[in-house]
Amino acid sequence: MKEETAVLQVKGLTKHFPVAGHKVVHAVDDVSFSVSRGKTLGLVGESGCGKSSCARTIIRIYEPTAGKILLDGDDISLLNQKQLLPYRKKMQMIFQDPYASLNARMTVHDIVAEPLKAHKICSSRKEENEMVSDMLARVGLNRDHAGRYAHEFSGGQRQRVGIARALILKPELVICDEPISALDVSIQAQVVNMLRNFQEELGLTYLFIAHDLSMVRYVSDDVGVMYLGQLVEKCEADEIYRHPLHPYTAGLLSSIPVPNPRLAQEKEKSGLEGDLPSPIAPPSGCRFHTRCPYASSCCREEAPELKEASSGHFVACHRIHN
Amino acid sequence: MTEENKWERVSGSTEEAERIYRKSRSFLGDVWFRFRHKPTALLGFILVVILLVFCLAGPAFTPYSYSEQNNKLASIPPLLTVYPGPEEGSYLYITQGLKLIEVDEDGNLIRQLKKKKDDNTNKQTSFTWDDDTLVYLDYSRLPNTVLDADGNRIETGLKKWNNTYRLGTDQLGRDILTRLMYGTRISLMVAFIAALVNMVIGIAYGGISGYLGGRTDTIMMRIVDIISTIPLTLYVILIKMCLDDGLLSIIIALSSVYWVDMARVVRGEMLSLKNQEFVLAARTIGSSTKTILLNHLIPNAMGPILVTVTMLIPSAIFMEAFMSFIGIGIAPPMASLGTMCNDATETLRTNPYQLFLPALVICIIMFAFNFVGDGLRDALDPKLKK
Repeated sequence: MKEETAVLQVKGLTKHFPVAGHKVVHAVDDVSFSVSRGKTLGLVGESGCGKSSCARTIIRIYEPTAGKILLDGDDISLLNQKQLLPYRKKMQMIFQDPYASLNARMTVHDIVAEPLKAHKICSSRKEENEMVSDMLARVGLNRDHAGRYAHEFSGGQRQRVGIARALILKPELVICDEPISALDVSIQAQVVNMLRNFQEELGLTYLFIAHDLSMVRYVSDDVGVMYLGQLVEKCEADEIYRHPLHPYTAGLLSSIPVPNPRLAQEKEKSGLEGDLPSPIAPPSGCRFHTRCPYASSCCREEAPELKEASSGHFVACHRIHN
Repeated sequence: MTEENKWERVSGSTEEAERIYRKSRSFLGDVWFRFRHKPTALLGFILVVILLVFCLAGPAFTPYSYSEQNNKLASIPPLLTVYPGPEEGSYLYITQGLKLIEVDEDGNLIRQLKKKKDDNTNKQTSFTWDDDTLVYLDYSRLPNTVLDADGNRIETGLKKWNNTYRLGTDQLGRDILTRLMYGTRISLMVAFIAALVNMVIGIAYGGISGYLGGRTDTIMMRIVDIISTIPLTLYVILIKMCLDDGLLSIIIALSSVYWVDMARVVRGEMLSLKNQEFVLAARTIGSSTKTILLNHLIPNAMGPILVTVTMLIPSAIFMEAFMSFIGIGIAPPMASLGTMCNDATETLRTNPYQLFLPALVICIIMFAFNFVGDGLRDALDPKLKK
C-alpha cells in the first residue's frame, strides 16, 4: 500500500467512552490501517468489537480520544465541526438500518437533497431537482418516488435512498456501516452489486463494515479483523480466507455456514467458545487469550504487535511471530 | 390464469417492480385520517369548533354587553314562574326583591310595575297595572304569589322560558349568555396564548438541554427540578400578587411556570432522537445544528409536543378559572368563567343556575380539549397505524 494513493489513513486511532463510576469503555484501541484509492477495506468482527465505533470516529461523529485520521493526507482528527465541513463532502456514510436512517417527516427528495443544501451546491431549485432525480435514477428509483415519504418504501428501496444521499456529493470515501445486514437476503445482493457498480463508475473508496464474512470476501480488496477494539489481522481478502493466521480469524471463518451438508460434516469444528470479554476491563496481554485455544503464559502478559507475517499479511499473535 | 401456466414467469419491467401503488399520504394526512376515525377525538374537535364560534361570533348576535348592568332585572332565572295577570295573555313574574314584572305569552319581559302601597299588616303590596287597575302581591306565606281579581291567592304558577335573557341574568342584571361568551373568549385566549408561550419556551429550553446533553443538560434539568418542587399553583398566585390585575398579568403568570412540563417532554424526545441514525446521517452530511434541530429533531418530536400542548390548554383554563374564582384573576367588569362562578357563590342557594352555567362551560371546554389531546396522542402514534 503506497502512502500517496491512500485516501484514508488511520494511525493509532483510539476511542474511549467514559461510563458511570469513572470507568472507561475501550471501544477502539490503537487501530491503524489505510485504504487506497478505489479499493475496499472490509472490517469484520463480532458485534461489540468496535467496528461501528471505529467508523463513527473516522467520520467524526465521535471525537477520537487519540490517534490520527488522514483524509487525502490531511489530518482531520483535531478539526472542529466547522473546519470539518469541506472534508464532509469527501467522506460519506451509509447506515445500517434503512428504517432509522431516514427521517420519517421528510420526502425522499428532501432527504437526498439535504447534502446539496448543507454544502450549498445548487444555485437554483431546478438544478437541485435535476441532480436529485438523476441520482434517484442511478439507484434505480424513479422521479415519482421523490415526493413520497420514507415509510412508503420497502427496506431495499429505503437503503437505496440512503445510498443516493451518501453519493450525491460524489465523495471519495464512503463508509458503509453494515449496509446490508438489516435487509433480507434477496435484496442484499442487489444492494451490494449496486455499491460495486458505483465504485467502478465513480472510483469510490469503501470502508466496508460487516459481520457477514462471505459477503466481505465478495466486496473487499483487503480485510481487517477486529477483536475487542483492536485490529488483530489484516491482509488481502482472498489470502485471509485461505490462510487465516490469527486463531480468532480462523474461529470466525469456521463459523460461516457451508451450504453443502456433507461438506459441513467434514469441516473441522473449531468454532469460537465463550463470550466477548467486557471492553470496560479488557484482558491483559493479548485480548484474545481468554478464548484462544493456543494461549500461553506469554499471551497473558504481553500484548502482541500487529506485524507482517508474510508479504502484506499483518497479524497480531505471539504464536505466529515466535 | 389457468392451472398449467401457474408457475410461469410473469413478464414485467423493473420499473413495474418499483412502482408503489399505495396512495401517497403525508404524515399530517395520516394523522388526520386516524384522528377523524376516533369518535371521541372528533367529538372533542367539534366541541372546540363550536366553542370557538360561540365565543368569537356569539357577541355579535347578542344585544347586551358583558358589563351593562340593570338592577331592576337582577337575578332573573332562565325558567320563570309566572302568574296570570289582569289582562288576557299577560303574566306576572315576582322577582326576589318582591317586585312585579310583566311577562308576555312568549316569555318576553315587558316592564316592571310601579309600586303603589305596601301593606305591612296583611303582607301585601299593591302595584299599578294601568291607570285604574291594581295588582296585589301576597307575601304572607311562601311561595309568594299574586292575588286574582277576587282577592284569592293563585297557588300554582306557570313555567315559562325567559325569552329576553335566555340564560337569565346575574345579581347585577347582566345577561349571563353574553357574559359566558366573553368569559369563554377570555378563558380560551388565556389558554391559547399561555400554551403557545409555554410551547416556545419549553421547546427552546428542552431542546437545548437535550441536544447539548452532558453538564449543560444536568444543570438545566436541576433548575427545572427546583422549579417543579414547589407547586405551580403557588407560583402563579405569587407572581399574580406582584402584578396588576388583568389579562396580561394572568398570561405572564401562567406562561412563566407551566413550561417545565413541556421542557421535560422535549428534552426526553431530544435525548432519544439525537442518537438515531437519521440525525447521525445529518451530522455526517455536514448539516448545520440549526438544520438538525429544525428539520430533524423538532418535527420528529412534534407528536408528544402537540399532545402536551393540548393537555396544557385545559389546565391553563382551569388555572385561570381558579385564580379568578379566588379573586386574583380577571378584573371586573370583564367576564371570566372563574369570576362568574365566584360571583354566583354568594347567591348559590337562591340562584344555582348562576354557578351551574359557567361551571358547565368549563366542563365542556375541559372535556373537549382532553378528548382532542387524547385523540392526537393516538393519532400521532405510528404504531397504531391502520
